[in-house]
Amino acid sequence: MAPKDRRHQEINNKIRKIMKNVGDDILIKGIMPSLEIPKVGYDNTVWSDEKRMLTIGNKTVQIGPNSSKKIPTFAQYLVMANAIRKLLDEEMESTIRGMYYATLSTVGDEKNQQKFWSGQDDSDDAIKAIELLTNVPREEFSVTSKPKGMISGPITLSVGGDLIDCNLGSRATSQLIPTNIRDLEIVKVKADFVMVVEKDTVLNNIRKSGFIQKYNAILLTGSGEPDRATRMMVKMLNEKWKKPVVIFADADPWGLGIALRYKIGSESLSYDSDRLVTPNSKVLGMMFSDIYEYNIPKVARLAATQEDLNRANDMKKKPWLQDKRWKKELDLFLKNKEKCELDAFFKYGFKYLADTYLPNKLREAGVI
Amino acid sequence: MTSKVTTEVLEKGTKQVKTILQLAQKQKTKIRYDKKAESEFFVDNSALAGFTGERILYMSVRELIENSLDSCEINHILPVIHLRLKLLDGLNDLWTISCKDNGIGIPSEKVPVAVCSFLTSGKYVEKQQRGLFGVGLKMIAAFSTKDTDHPLRVWSKSEEESECYFDLRTDIGTNKPITLFKKNVKNVESQIEGESGFKVEAVLRAKLSPITKNKIYDYVSQTSIVNPYAIITFETDEGKVTFKRRTEIMPNPSREVLPHPYDMDLKTLKKAILNFMNQKTTLQGILSNSFQKMSNDKAKEIITRAGLPIKPADKYDEHELIKVVNVCKHTKFQSPNTDHLSPIGEKILTVGMTSEYSIILNKETANSGSQAQLSAKILKPALTAYSSRICVVNNRPTIVECGIAYGGDIPSFKLFRFANKIPLLYDEGSDVAREVISEVGINKMGISKKEVKEQFSHVETKSDRTVEYLPIHIFFHICSTKIPYKTAGKESIASEGDLKKYMKSCLSDLYRKVSAQIRRELKLKEDENKLRLYKHYIPFIINAISESIKIDSKKLSIAFQNLAERYVSGELTNIAKQIFPDSNQKRNQMNDKKNTINNDNENELNLNKFDTRSSVSKHGNKTKLDKIKKHHKITKK
Repeated sequence: MAPKDRRHQEINNKIRKIMKNVGDDILIKGIMPSLEIPKVGYDNTVWSDEKRMLTIGNKTVQIGPNSSKKIPTFAQYLVMANAIRKLLDEEMESTIRGMYYATLSTVGDEKNQQKFWSGQDDSDDAIKAIELLTNVPREEFSVTSKPKGMISGPITLSVGGDLIDCNLGSRATSQLIPTNIRDLEIVKVKADFVMVVEKDTVLNNIRKSGFIQKYNAILLTGSGEPDRATRMMVKMLNEKWKKPVVIFADADPWGLGIALRYKIGSESLSYDSDRLVTPNSKVLGMMFSDIYEYNIPKVARLAATQEDLNRANDMKKKPWLQDKRWKKELDLFLKNKEKCELDAFFKYGFKYLADTYLPNKLREAGVI
Repeated sequence: MTSKVTTEVLEKGTKQVKTILQLAQKQKTKIRYDKKAESEFFVDNSALAGFTGERILYMSVRELIENSLDSCEINHILPVIHLRLKLLDGLNDLWTISCKDNGIGIPSEKVPVAVCSFLTSGKYVEKQQRGLFGVGLKMIAAFSTKDTDHPLRVWSKSEEESECYFDLRTDIGTNKPITLFKKNVKNVESQIEGESGFKVEAVLRAKLSPITKNKIYDYVSQTSIVNPYAIITFETDEGKVTFKRRTEIMPNPSREVLPHPYDMDLKTLKKAILNFMNQKTTLQGILSNSFQKMSNDKAKEIITRAGLPIKPADKYDEHELIKVVNVCKHTKFQSPNTDHLSPIGEKILTVGMTSEYSIILNKETANSGSQAQLSAKILKPALTAYSSRICVVNNRPTIVECGIAYGGDIPSFKLFRFANKIPLLYDEGSDVAREVISEVGINKMGISKKEVKEQFSHVETKSDRTVEYLPIHIFFHICSTKIPYKTAGKESIASEGDLKKYMKSCLSDLYRKVSAQIRRELKLKEDENKLRLYKHYIPFIINAISESIKIDSKKLSIAFQNLAERYVSGELTNIAKQIFPDSNQKRNQMNDKKNTINNDNENELNLNKFDTRSSVSKHGNKTKLDKIKKHHKITKK
C-alpha cells in the first residue's frame, strides 16, 4: 500500500533503504549495525559567509546498538522511522506529539520496566534524527507541530486549495500560519514590506492601530520562538516575493536570539537553514540602546536576571556574532543590566508603538 | 584570684567555708594549695577521659567492652561478652548498664580498688592494650556514685577462687572504694557460669540521643568485626542481638617489652636502676637488661662516651645519669622490635570482613511496640583483600593493617578505623585515614571516574571522590604501644611521622590487588546491563525492520541476538573465559580477538603472584557467574 504522492514514495524508499542496510549488517555481514547522522549543536555549526547564515558542519555521530546508552536510542530511531513510513502509507498527517503517542510503549519485563520514551523530547529527537538520516524536513513527511505563527495583511494563501485572504478588514483577528507547508501556497501579495514581531500581543496592538492599512504592510509573528512554518513563510516572502523584511523583538537576550533565528538561523536547526533563514531581513529593534534613546521610564524597565547575563555573555562569544553592532548592544546590556519589552512603549500611550516608534525605526532604515 | 579560691573551697563543705572566707577577706592575695584526690580530679575533668554529657553511655559501653576483651585475651580465652543497656527511670534519665565476660576476673581482695580507685591498673606496662590509664571503669563507678544512690554491683570470679559479690561506691574526695556489702555467692545466685569471669552493673544518669544510640550500635558491631572470635550479646530496650563467633583463631596476645633507648629519660633510667637495687649489677648490666637493642658492648660504649667513672650503679647522681640519657639520644640503635605487637592479622580480619554484622532497627515493629526490633544482618562481600606494613613511626613500633571488602551485600562506601582493635567512630573528618583515602587516587585501580559514576549513578554521596561511589568498605587498623591520638578523647589519629606514608602504600597496594576484580565486577555489571537491554530492545528493532521491508524476521532476530551476545562476550577481554567457559569453542570459531584468551591466563597468573603481606580473597563469585550464565541462556531463547 504505497502512498500516491511521489515525494512520499521517495521518503518511504529512503526509510526502507535504512532498514535494509541495518538488516544486511546483521544478517549478511554479521556486524553491529550503525547509523551515521550529522552532528547537531554548537560544535558542528559553521557560519557561511557566502550564504550569510549558520550551516551544519561535516561532523557526524555513529548511533549503533553498541553501548548501554545507545541501544535504546538505536531502537527508538528505527521505531520512529517505521512509524513515519506507516503514516505516509496511510496518507495521514500528524503532529510531533501525535508521533509520540503513536509510538508509546513500555520496555522490559516486570522487574525492569521502563517507558520506551522518557518524554516527548526523546521522540522529538528521534524525528529530528530521521530528518537528518533522510535529509528530508519533517514537514515533508507530514509531521508537523501545532501552528502558532500568525499573519495579517494584504496576502492571500492557498491551503490545500482553499483560499484564505489574510487582509481581514475587521482589524480584529489574524490568521494562523498553517504548519502543513506542503499544502500551503502563497497566491497573492500586495504588501510593500513584511514586519515580524516577537509576540502576538504586540502584533494585535499594531494591527488594531491600522498600521497595516496605513503602511501597506504584512504583520507576522512566531508567538515567541518561531516554528519552522513561520520562518519559511518569512523566507518565501523575502526571496520569492521580493518583499523587504524587518524584525522587532524585545530588548533582552532572548528577544535578540529570536530575531536572529529569522536572520541567521539557529544551532539546533543548522541543518535546515537553507529552508528557514532569511539573511536579507533586518533586525531593527528593539535595541538595548533604544531603552535610553526613547528614554523608557525606569518603572517599565526590567532588571536582568543571572540567566539573561549568562546568555548575553554566551552570545558575545559566538564567532558569528562578532559584528560590531551586536557587540556594542550586548556590552550596553551587560553594563546596565536592564532589559525592556516592546510593550513598554504602551506607557507612552497605546498608539505610541505603532504611530511613533515603529515608523521612526522604519524610516531610519529606509523601508518607508 | 579570690573568687577562684572561694569556689574551690565551697565544694569542700560548709564547715571550712566560713573561716576561709574570712581569711580571704583579710589577706586577699593568699592562695591555699590543696591536693586534689585523683577521683575528684577526673570527675571534675571528665572530658579528659571522654565522659562528656552526650557521650557518657557511649564511653561506658566502650570501656566495659574493652576491659572485657582485654581480660579474656590476656589468657587466650575465647571471649563471651554480654552487654546490657536498659532504661531504668525515664523521668530521671537513669540507665542500667551491665557487662559480663568470661575473662580472668579480678582477685576478690583487689576488686574494690580495681573498680573504684582511679589510676589503679594492671595495665601500666609498655604493651599494646586497649585500655591504658586505669580510668574507664572507675569513671563509671564515680559517675554512678555522683549522680545516683545506687551501688555499683560487681560479681567476680578469678582463678581458684569462688565467686564474690560486691556493692561498691567511690569516695570521690579520697579516691578510695567504699564496700557497702560483700559476700561469696554460690549456686542459684551465681552469675558467672565459667571458671572465671567478671560482671559489673551500674546505674548512670545520662541522656541518650538517637545519634549517640547509633554510635553505640556502630561501636558494638564494629568491635565484632575485629573480634570475630568473640561472642557478643547486646541487649537494649529495642531488642537483643547476638554477634556469633565466626572463628576460633585468636590473635597472639601482645607482650610487654623493654623500652627502646631512644625513649630513655631520667625517669626510666632511675626506675631501671631501682629494679636492680639489690643485685649488685653494674650500670652496664642494668642498661643491657633494661632496654631493647642494647647489647653489653653497646652499653659499655655509651658509658664510656658519657665519661662516667665506674662505681656501683646506685651511686650515680642525676647529673651523671643525664649524660647517659643524652648520649643515647645521639647514638644509632637498631629499630625497635615489633614482634610484641598484636595485629588483628589477615585471617581474623578477613573473617571479620566477610561476616560483617550490621545492626538493623526495624521501624515497623518499632511502631507496633513489639520487642524484637533489633536484628543483625551479615553483609557478605564479593571479595576482600588485606595488606599490612610493619614500620617504626617516631621510634614507636607500629603495624598498619588495611583491608578492603567489596561488592556483594555491601551497599555503599564506608571507612572503618581501628586503633589497637578499638573502633574509632567520632571525628572521622580529621583522621589521618580520611586524608589517606583522598590522597590515594582510584586510578590506581585502572577504573575511570566516568565508568564508576555510570554504574553507580544511584549512589548518594556528598563527596565527589570516585571511591565513595563504589560499594566498598575500607578498614584501617593501627596498632602500637602508643597510638598518636589527636585528642584526649582517643577518637582520631594524627598524621604523625611516616604513618601516613605507610598507610598510603598499604591502600594503594590493596587498590592494585583488587583492581582486576573490581574491573571485572564493573564489567560484569555493564555486560549484564547490556544483555538485558538487548533482550528488551531487539524485538522493537526487529519489528520496525520487518514491518518496513520483506525480511525473515525470525532469522533476523536470531542473527541479531547472536550478534549481540558475541559482541558482549567479545568485549569481555579479561573475564570472557571465566564467564562463558563452555562457549570457548564457539568463540574461537568466530573470534576476531583471539588473543583475549591469552590475556586471561596472564591475569590469572598476576592474581596468584601476591606477596605474602597482602592477598585477595574472592567470595561467592561462583553464584554471580552462574547468574550471568543463566541470564545468557535466557537471551538465547
